[in-house]
Amino acid sequence: MAEQPSLELAPSTRVTGVMAADGTETPHPRAIHRGSHPTAPSRGPEEGKAPQLLSRRSSMLSTLAGPPGSRRSSLGAAPGGKRPSVGPWLLHSRVSFSGLPLFQPIPETHLENTYRMRPEEGCRFNAGRVQRVLEGGLAGVLGGTTYSPQSSTVLVQSLAELLRGQAKEVVPPRYKLVCHVLLGQHRQQSMLVASQALWDPESDSFASASFSNASLFAVATVHGVYFE
Amino acid sequence: FSDYTRHFEPLHFEFSSIYYYFFPPLLSDYNHNKVNQWTAAIVEQSLTHLVKLGKTYKYIVTCAVMQRSGAGLHTASSCFWDTTTDGTCTVRWENRTMNCIVNVFAVAIIL
Repeated sequence: MAEQPSLELAPSTRVTGVMAADGTETPHPRAIHRGSHPTAPSRGPEEGKAPQLLSRRSSMLSTLAGPPGSRRSSLGAAPGGKRPSVGPWLLHSRVSFSGLPLFQPIPETHLENTYRMRPEEGCRFNAGRVQRVLEGGLAGVLGGTTYSPQSSTVLVQSLAELLRGQAKEVVPPRYKLVCHVLLGQHRQQSMLVASQALWDPESDSFASASFSNASLFAVATVHGVYFE
Repeated sequence: FSDYTRHFEPLHFEFSSIYYYFFPPLLSDYNHNKVNQWTAAIVEQSLTHLVKLGKTYKYIVTCAVMQRSGAGLHTASSCFWDTTTDGTCTVRWENRTMNCIVNVFAVAIIL
């Protein structure tokens, strides 16, 4: 019974694997999701969920309680009978890992690859609709305002966020948006705004609108880039 | 907004150094007839240089040239994207008669 002293030395937190060696299946607070009875069903969703997840955490899972059922069965299959000589060493290795993180790692959700590189039919960036939205937004916010240096800073930032939010509602999903707003004082100066982009012309586009009144002018541009 | 520039430090540095090649030709005064050519040249050359950086990004380059007449100008942009991979860089330049603001928005392509 050379393994007995080592079992007692094991820290209590990782007792699941250790206690399984004794043949007793003690429900452990750690082993909530892998109790002795629901071994089979709990294994199913885990494997089906994300094979990557399982492989990356396999060393950790083995410390918690093993892929449920597999290790226990190897140890539990010989309760009191002949123990494989590898058994205690497995326990040793499990115990040695158990000093590592003591908290349950947050399972990362791995989304499957959709293999979609283009927007669906009819789900393109509708430049005309976005332009109408921009014009409406600009006229609504700037209709009665006059230019003032202090308030225009805040005004232009809020306007950019507002227009981006409005554009997001009319734009199909999987599109990233860049909304750019220029607001200036209306004097006898001239101004030119140009933009060029390197993108996929079939799926990406832009829309722009301008507004001016006696004291200020504004130019808003929204670029929509498909997220592949 | 400033966080994105910090995050995009490598792109920012490479990009702003590019502009020392562009702006010397613009040392002349504001000329309404030529400003079209200037903005087109700036934007085209920016894109060419950005492509030469060889990163997997889609780029949007905006250039605004304004005559300096004492009027105020404010510009803001709001973007809906993945903040961990996408970013922006802005270069401002001016001379006696005009201001020039160039924005570069880089949107990542996930391969």
